[in-house]
Parts: sequence; C-alpha cells; structure tokens
Amino acid sequence: MRKTLAAAAAGAALAAAGLVVARRRLGRLRLRRGLAALQLAARGGARYTRSAPRLFASAGDSRQQLRNDLALETAEDVASTLGAMKGVLMKIGQMASYVDDGLSPAARRALSRLQDSVPPMSAGLAAGVVESELGLPPERAFARWDGEPIAAASIGQVHRAITHDGRAVAVKVQYPGIAETMAADLDNVSLLRRLLRVTAPSQDVDALITELRDRVLEELDYRQEAANQRLLAAYYDGHPTIHIPRIIDGLSTRRVVTSELSDGARFAELAGWPQEERDLAAETIYRFVFRSLYEAHAFNGDPHPGNYLFHGGGRVTFLDFGLVKHFTLAELQPLMQMARSLCVDNQPQAFRRAMEDAGFLVPHAPLSTEMIVDHLGVFYATIRKPGRLTITPDYASAVVRRFFDLRSPVAGYVSIPRSYVILQRINLGLFALLGELSATADWRAIAEEIWPFVQAPPSTPMGEAETAWRARRLTAARD
Amino acid sequence: MGTDAYADAAGLVARSAAAYVSSVPTDPADDGFFGPASVTWRLGGDLSSIVAGLRALLVQALHPLAMAGVDQHSDWRRDPVGRLAATSSYLATVSYGDRAAAEHAAARVRRIHSRVHGTDPVTGRPYAASDPALLLWVHATLVDSTVVACELFGTPVAPADGDRYVAEMTVAAELVGIPAALVPSDLAGLRRYLSSVLPGLRCTPAAADAAAFLLDPPGLDPDIAEIWGDIRDGAVAAMPEWALQMYGFGAPGALTPARRAEIRQALGVLDVVFLGEPGVLEARQRIALRMRAAQHA
Repeated sequence: MRKTLAAAAAGAALAAAGLVVARRRLGRLRLRRGLAALQLAARGGARYTRSAPRLFASAGDSRQQLRNDLALETAEDVASTLGAMKGVLMKIGQMASYVDDGLSPAARRALSRLQDSVPPMSAGLAAGVVESELGLPPERAFARWDGEPIAAASIGQVHRAITHDGRAVAVKVQYPGIAETMAADLDNVSLLRRLLRVTAPSQDVDALITELRDRVLEELDYRQEAANQRLLAAYYDGHPTIHIPRIIDGLSTRRVVTSELSDGARFAELAGWPQEERDLAAETIYRFVFRSLYEAHAFNGDPHPGNYLFHGGGRVTFLDFGLVKHFTLAELQPLMQMARSLCVDNQPQAFRRAMEDAGFLVPHAPLSTEMIVDHLGVFYATIRKPGRLTITPDYASAVVRRFFDLRSPVAGYVSIPRSYVILQRINLGLFALLGELSATADWRAIAEEIWPFVQAPPSTPMGEAETAWRARRLTAARD
Repeated sequence: MGTDAYADAAGLVARSAAAYVSSVPTDPADDGFFGPASVTWRLGGDLSSIVAGLRALLVQALHPLAMAGVDQHSDWRRDPVGRLAATSSYLATVSYGDRAAAEHAAARVRRIHSRVHGTDPVTGRPYAASDPALLLWVHATLVDSTVVACELFGTPVAPADGDRYVAEMTVAAELVGIPAALVPSDLAGLRRYLSSVLPGLRCTPAAADAAAFLLDPPGLDPDIAEIWGDIRDGAVAAMPEWALQMYGFGAPGALTPARRAEIRQALGVLDVVFLGEPGVLEARQRIALRMRAAQHA
C-alpha cells in the first residue's frame, strides 16, 4: 500500500513542462514495515523493472468482460462486494494502476483481483438507481434505455440510452449505497495510516490521506464530474481535434451522469494504427494536458488509456472527468517559473530558487545546483531542447525510476507540496501513455506555443488549426 | 501462561488460501451435503468467517480433554499454519465438496481420531478423540461461533435461519462420528448444550499456549500483521464472557458501532489480501454461480 500512495494518491511527484516534485525523507521508507501485499514499498530505483510502466493491468477495462452471470442484484450485494474498505482499496488500486511496476507483485495481484471481483449491477438494480435519482424509471426518463451495461466505470457502470429529444447518450450509474459506505471507510484514518505509511512524519501521512479522501469523495459525487466536464467541454468547444462530450443537465445528478455518447477506437486499437496517426493522437493528448493546465487551470488526473476514443487525424474524445484538480494562477506560477528558468532562460540557479520558493526543494540544501539539475532534469528531457524527439517506453520507464530513486543524495531534499501531488500523473501516466505510442514530435515547440510566458506561433498543422480556433473563441467572447 | 514453544505463522494467508481453493470443486458430482440453497453456504462466505474460526478455536481450547488431544497428538506447535490450513481444508470440503469428497475427507479424519487417545496431564482424565462428547464440543462451538460472528461483524442471521443452520450442520457432526441424536437441532438447544458443558471447562497451560499463538501469531505475514490487532479484537469481542474470564482477559470494552465498523474494515482488507492469492476469486465465483443458479431456480 505504501507504494500505492507513493505512486498514486500522493507521495512524490514531478511534472514535466514545469514542475518537479519529489518525496521527503524517502530513505526512511525502506526501513519501515508495511502491508507487504498491498504495500507500495518504496524500493531503490535500481530495483524498478526496466520495462515501461504498464498501462493496462488493473485498470477498469478488464471488468469489461462484465460478469453478468454474477451481477449484483441488491444493495446488500453491493455492500458485501465493495463495503468494508474494499471500495476504497479499489480506488487506491485504480489510482496506482499507472505505475504498477512500482507495486509489489502481491499488491498488484490483490488490487487487480479486487477489481476483477466486482461484477456489474443487474438491469433491475441499475434501473432502481436511475429511478431514485431521476424520479422516473429509465424506460420513461429516456426514450430508449439499454439495460445491458456497455462498460464498467468508477464505482458504477455505463448504459446507452436515447433521450426524448433524440440524442444518443452514455449514462453512468453509480452503485447504490456505495458513496456512503466509502465515505465512512475513508473516515478510518488509523487504518488508512497503517495501510499507507508513506513517509516518516505522521503529518505527511495525514496530508496524503486528506488528499486521497478529498479526491475520492469528489469522485463519489457525480455532480463534480459533470461540472468539470461542462467546464472543459465549454472551453474546448469547436477545437479542431479535442472533443469533450457534453453533459445533459436535466439527466445528471449526484449518482447518475448523462453525457453525449461517443464512439471511436480504443487505445489498444490505436496501437495498430500507422505511426503518423499515433503521433497525431499523442500531440492532441499533449496539447490537451497542457492547455487545460495553463489556460483552463484544470488538470485531469486520470490519464488512463480507457479514457480516450480515437477518431483518426489526431481527433480524440476525452472521457471521464471524475478526478479533475483545479489550480489557482498563484499555484501555477511557480511551475511556470521552474520551466522557464530551466528550459527557456537556461538559468540553473534561478531554477533552483524557484523550486525552493515553491516548496519543492529544501532551501540551502548541501547540494550543488549541478547535481539538482542533473537529478531533476530527466523530467524536463522532452522540452529542454528544440527538435523532434521520440518518447520511448524506455524514457517513460526512466522517469518512473528516477521518480522513485531514493538513493540519489538529492532525493532527501525534495518533497511535493500537497496541491501539486496530482500532477505526478504527468510523469507517471502521460509519459507512459506517450511512450506506449512511441510518439514523436517537437514537444518543446508545442510547449512554447502553450507556455503563457512564450506564446510562440504554431509549430505544426495542428497548432495552426488551434490558432484559428483560439482566434474564433476570442472573437466569440468579444461579441 | 504457556509452557512450550511453537513455530511461527509465516505463510498463513497463502496456505489457507491454497487449502480453500483446492477444496472448492470445479466439477462436483452432486451438491454435497448442504447445497447452494443452504444457510451453511451463505454463512460460509461471510466476511466474519475469520472471526468465527478464531473464536471457535479459542473457546474449543478451554475443554481440557479436547485441548490435550490436540496438544499431545497434533503437530500444531511445529507447524501451526499447516494445522490451521488442514482444518480450513476439511471444513471447506465438507461444505462445498460433493458427497464423495466430503465422505472421503471425513473418513480420513475419523481414521486419524481413532488413533488419538491418552491422559490429560491437568485433570488426569483419559480421553479419546473419537469420543462423541468431545467431537460434539468442537462441533457446537464452531456452529455457535459462526452465528455469533455473523451477528457481530457480518450479515445478521434471522432467527429462523439460525435454527436452520444448526439443523443443517447436524450432517457435518454425523460425518465425524457423532450420533445425530446427540446433536442440538436448533439455536436454543445449541446454547443449552454449551451451558451444560461449562462446569468442566478450564484454561490449561496448553490452552493458554494455543490462545497466545492465535491472538498474537509470531512471524505473521507482514501484510496481515498490520491489521491482526483489529481481527483479534473482533474475536475477543465475540467471545462469551465466561471464556474471557477463564483466560483471565479483562472484560473488553463495549463494542461501539464505530469500533465494530473498524473491525469490519480490517476484515475487508484481510479479505482483499486473501483474494489476491491464486485461485481464490475463481473458487468464490464457482460458489457464487451455483448459489445464484439455486436462487433463481
């Protein structure tokens, strides 16, 4: 479990394009005993496998082989499947799934089996949730309702339906009673602390638990997700390659969220497409991550491969906004300062100062600036120099290894302020995804387009199209 | 206080899981002695099972003759985990196996019991493991513990289901060699029987050793060492007051709803650890599918 936290909910984190984070007093972790089976024991970097972070194990999609023959029929079935801490462990497992190379084999097995152990709701049970949320049985709330779920979702499942005004929609329905149970389980801080035991000072563990609690509680309330999706759908309205399905307001509540239905190729299919298609898809994902961060001040902390649909020509539909973190401009400033000083101004001293100011690095650490840049530079490797560069599985893997490298003398002096913890997903999730695609682009040039402190002209055809879109947005805003 | 040493508990989860998995049949010839519609199957899969097992062992150990038989003839001190795994395996085979598998396992146990006899060093009384009186004690405490643990930490058992469960389990008693006429057939009868045995119970040094091992297993897998305290508290909270007194445990604090929830959460974590062992999920699904089919039949 330790490493879950280390890797997933919090712990350590550095983000590319601007931000480097690492863990505090990691060295002590190795000495501590934890839940061996569930622990995310922070092991020395060298012991991390050389393979790229695996993206698919224990991710929600395996439940696609939905065991309808074992469908949950009552709220009691749900409670015995996901109650008593199991839903919380499953959530932690999902969050850690990006980095399961860092999990002990026993932990990976237990968490992925847990995920496999959750069957879908029966048609009747799901219909009951819809009726209690929308006030009408699904056959009346919608013009057509498909009682057979099409996918597993975070503590729920997705049904297809057609609205009375003829729109095809995806309806995510939450397991009944589970939000209350999981909220109560998250209150058992003492058990979570024992499970998570991440860092030495208990205060830090509690901060991690708080972050985990906040994120999971947010995810349990689908209205949050709807709000996030609404915001980003509005922001990207008319974008040439980024598509975000619209939320259907009247049919979305705390436990049910209805959005436009999208269809497209899954990530696994994309792997079989020509490299140029894969590069374009990667460019879109990259633009989405950093435009959302720097302009919408929002970061989707769930870059799971199941959350994309691919349509060719770089067009990508983004799904699942249950885990979005919003930033203030003040929170983003240090990240920009760090990227700017290291990559643009080439001022290592200023980079170091920016990290200290933001709380990532202990001030006056007895380290040379060169050592710091050397250690943390790997997280910026794709954007430090202009020119086309391929993100390989090896690079993604090196990032993860460095992330968990406790042996470096630098590791003892870095930590991640809580509000940036989620950004580690850039390093642990986004790069893994792009590495899986062996995506090539001039990432630095794209970053320069997006960095508010550079705002370079478009560097690719997609950039051109984006510029036109931005101009249209501005015009529309003025009108 | 205990007297003799015992080995540690390493591998408890893995070996119990392997025993369980191999006892749940993939292709049974029949539904066995209970069947998928039985209360026995339902309670057997309850989250509280581990508390039931722990409580049963702790209470069983207070019978000097039963404890002497275990202590003098079984290899529990040398291989406590193996001993527990063998018991889990037997119970799962009798519950979920087909009739042939259950009868085969029971015949083996009866054969072993026939060789177990001696004299209890504490009371000086002779004992034999095939003595129906001793077997009934072991049987009754397990049945009682299952109901109590479910009530406290699992899915509560309706009184009618409790009676049905006690009656269903008569066949398990018969399998180990207890005449059906001696076996209580409802909850009230079960509790009357337990009270009747009470005067002969005491905490012998061997019982204290066994309890010390169960409550604080040395060398427990680190995965479960972190949560064993909660599991132990659950078992202690489920024990009868007289048993706590005999062991010299102070009265446990009242089981508040909050503490009960915490123990359930620890049981859930343990369950996830167990689920991570090879074959456990599949074995559970085999059982669930058969129960589902019976329910819809």
